[in-house]
Amino acid sequence: MEIARKFKNTFSNVPMLGWLLGVLAAVLIEYYWGYDYISYYLGLPKIPVLFGTLIMLKDPMMIPGVIGYDLIVYVIPILLIAKASNFFTNPVAAILEKTPLWLSAIIHLIFFYGVLHLWAGINDYRVLVVKLTMISIILTISINVINGYQGEFSCSHPGFMAIGAYISSIITLYFFVNDKTFGAAVLSPDLGPWLFPFALIAGGIGASLGSLLVAVPSFRTRGDYLAIISLAFMFIIKSAIENLNVIGGARGMGGQPDYAPLPIIFIWTMLCIWVVHNFVTSIMGKALNAVRDDEAASESMTVKTRKTKMTAFMFGAFWAGIAGGLFAHVLAYINPGMFSINRLAEILAMVYFGGLNSIIGSIVGAVSINVLGEALRPLELFKWIIIPLILILVMIFRPYGLISFKEINAKKLLRAKHKREQGA
Amino acid sequence: MSALLNVNKMTHYFGGLRAVYNYNLNIKPHQITGLIGPNGAGKTTIFNLITGVYTPTEGSITLENKSIKGLETNEIAARGLGRTFQNLALWRHMNVLDHIKMAHYSQLSYGLIGSFFNTSKCREQESRVEENSYRLLELFDIKQHADQIVTNLPYGAQRRVEMARAMATNPKILFLDEPTAGMTPDELGQMIKIIRKVHQDFKVAIFLIEHRMKFVMELCQHIQTLVFGELIAEGPPEEIQNNPEVIEAYLGKEDLT
Amino acid sequence: MESLIELGQFILQNLINALQRGSFYAVISIGYSMVYGVLMLFNFAHGDIFMVATYIGFGIATLFLALFAGFLPGPLIFLATVVITMFLASWVGVFVEVAGYRPLRSAPRASAAITGLMIGIIFETGILILLGAKRLSFPPLMESISYNVGGIYFTNVKVMIIVISLLLMLALHTFIQKTKWGMAMRAMSYDFLAVPLMGVSINIIAPLTFAVGAGLAAVAGILYGQAYPILDPYMGVIIGWKAFVAAILGGRGSIKGAALAGYLIGFIEIFVATIFPSTLRDLIAYSIILLILTFRPRGFFGMEHSTKLRL
Repeated sequence: MEIARKFKNTFSNVPMLGWLLGVLAAVLIEYYWGYDYISYYLGLPKIPVLFGTLIMLKDPMMIPGVIGYDLIVYVIPILLIAKASNFFTNPVAAILEKTPLWLSAIIHLIFFYGVLHLWAGINDYRVLVVKLTMISIILTISINVINGYQGEFSCSHPGFMAIGAYISSIITLYFFVNDKTFGAAVLSPDLGPWLFPFALIAGGIGASLGSLLVAVPSFRTRGDYLAIISLAFMFIIKSAIENLNVIGGARGMGGQPDYAPLPIIFIWTMLCIWVVHNFVTSIMGKALNAVRDDEAASESMTVKTRKTKMTAFMFGAFWAGIAGGLFAHVLAYINPGMFSINRLAEILAMVYFGGLNSIIGSIVGAVSINVLGEALRPLELFKWIIIPLILILVMIFRPYGLISFKEINAKKLLRAKHKREQGA
Repeated sequence: MSALLNVNKMTHYFGGLRAVYNYNLNIKPHQITGLIGPNGAGKTTIFNLITGVYTPTEGSITLENKSIKGLETNEIAARGLGRTFQNLALWRHMNVLDHIKMAHYSQLSYGLIGSFFNTSKCREQESRVEENSYRLLELFDIKQHADQIVTNLPYGAQRRVEMARAMATNPKILFLDEPTAGMTPDELGQMIKIIRKVHQDFKVAIFLIEHRMKFVMELCQHIQTLVFGELIAEGPPEEIQNNPEVIEAYLGKEDLT
Repeated sequence: MESLIELGQFILQNLINALQRGSFYAVISIGYSMVYGVLMLFNFAHGDIFMVATYIGFGIATLFLALFAGFLPGPLIFLATVVITMFLASWVGVFVEVAGYRPLRSAPRASAAITGLMIGIIFETGILILLGAKRLSFPPLMESISYNVGGIYFTNVKVMIIVISLLLMLALHTFIQKTKWGMAMRAMSYDFLAVPLMGVSINIIAPLTFAVGAGLAAVAGILYGQAYPILDPYMGVIIGWKAFVAAILGGRGSIKGAALAGYLIGFIEIFVATIFPSTLRDLIAYSIILLILTFRPRGFFGMEHSTKLRL
């Protein structure tokens, strides 16, 4: 405890910019010396892809090497650079603080993306993990709108995702790809990447229209009944796609063009965070909480409860549809079986683990469950005992999830951290 | 002076059960009206009928000469009927400031798109609402609790939050459903002061349900007595106090506090 | 005339099949409903309790057949299997309550639902780890004899399944109406808070309810193994979800409703599958469920509870 406090004290004056710089240094070290020197001398077969967890679990003999690697490449450089650089990162942060918040945020984000790109660029596996994690972030935030902010127990998210995935895939395959199902491309494939956002948005709109089927019954009922209605909706979507042979039926649909590289997914993820954050911190968005906590009181305080519920569902479903579209174009293959109970369990796990009614919680939940899922992969089946156990523990000790009822404060996050005036 | 709110021959049945019969009400601007009656007489039902929770089977309700019968509760509220609840109906995960801001809902016009993209119109309206909310918090002496979650507040403060919230909807008439329920005599005196203050500062008409006779007699200019869904007497406090029917039906059975 | 008889035969034939399938759903969905009545939440692990119980039944049946086949009469082995499986499975139920739900008594209901789902996943994975992915086959506990009455085919197994399920539900009804524990359960579903004041602890009633539900699921599992012998760790999800749907359709906490809705789902499934292509089965079944719930949001026998999630 004492050490943790000291640690916190030592690093309390490092601004976000400093941490980013530290991570950049770590990534550069890995990039230039990771394979040739550090892994080699530590006896590791190659650069550990996910901080060595995979190697560690496969071969316990590697544990010292992995710990050494993580210390040399990540922990020590990050801490050192972050601390050492604060003589100039703090003044820079202070300058940025004087610019409009959006500009400062964008500069930080570009910096962050650069670091992420470099880190993921080490191999394809990392790229895939990062892509899927970001899609999970969109999914988790979007279900949080319905299950957290609006407080319904909705199980239809895989269905929304499927609608988005299929609609956007159909659009891109029909217009920009020569394939067996839809024949020759209608438009020049060169246009594809530029028009891809419209395909995604079409998928999102499709999903939010579909969500009306769940939203309208929610006017009269909630709780367990809504859980069943939404579950039925999910099965109906899955079953309907299985029976539509035009779009591949149960066999699925493949060959989606690669329109979703890392930067595109990153932009969509940030857009999602930004828009949802704006919404849930506005009075319009807080109406969701009011309706959740007391519907009668909300009506009496002039809140349009039906419109609010419909908004929550359609808005949540829209982003689920976007996530579905990105998902389809990352994997370049989808089938209805992907959007069923297993996906639902995963999405629910992410949102309840991370925390209800909180975007930052959703990000934490999505990243933790994804990274945990990947890191524990060598354990094979045991992974599916460890993750549920962790989730049960979280539910017991923090019933609303790790970080709940808490919003991002970008200003506070990015500001310069000068020495505390009062001796703390 | 013409009536602000006019209820004419309102009758309501729940299934086959007659809850309210032939009820009339006339509220003039800046008047405090009280509705008394024994438990189960249908007082809260009348509140719910006028505020649109239920639609009356028969009769008419007009607010400023426009019919509000059959409108949604939120529309009626937006037209100027604010209310509080008998058992506090606060939003349990929300802080005090957000309660007051939320009640400005119908006064916002930036729309969903505005809230998604945080447009300048949205920012401008939200900051105006926030300003007004702080003003209300100060007026009701709960500014120091602004960032707290309501469920952590003492009971009296929660009551004041509810009142401030109702006033934020900018009502022409304020409906108070047993504003002193569960209060100590000390808090009671405070409540009388607050209601007086609201009445003075906001120039609203007030319609309240109450059990404590002392409270009603002290505040109201006009009192109605309801028994089994029917009005048995109506008039100024002195008259009601001495009405033999009222004494028999109501006062005879209860403590004169 | 000829075609009318054929139609009659067709309907009766499918009616028997539907009754058999509905029996499983009915018996399992009662388990959901009972827990709801007592704890006001659905035990999402119940489907997987059913699955585990079926595996236990499989183990006991295989063991007993290996030990006693030949010198003990078949019905006795069957009975012994049922009783011992019920006993063991009810401990699984108790375990789930004590380990999973008890720590969450005051937590929001969504958290309890998630815990239930996670316990289910642990069970599925546990079975996979213990027994591997190979498909096991439930040994027949009685010789199957086919009958043909007026052009309608059925086996003694089918009749047994239907009869035992009905008897089981009757026994449960008596238990709930007549015994002290049953009455405490009923009281709990009326007033969650008052009953502990009457000297009945929720910490006894809740595990008991889970145990009874799991015991029922055990019988359903053995019977299921007789009708569809292939075991699968995910059978609990497939059968369990539908039984859960039945519990909702029947009306929150209504045991009668759950049983009836269980049969209804059996009927919908069988008749949809015989009339339409089998791939449409889920689509049509769930669409019907969606329609029913849209027009009867409280199910068949649901009470007007306030249905808010405790968030």
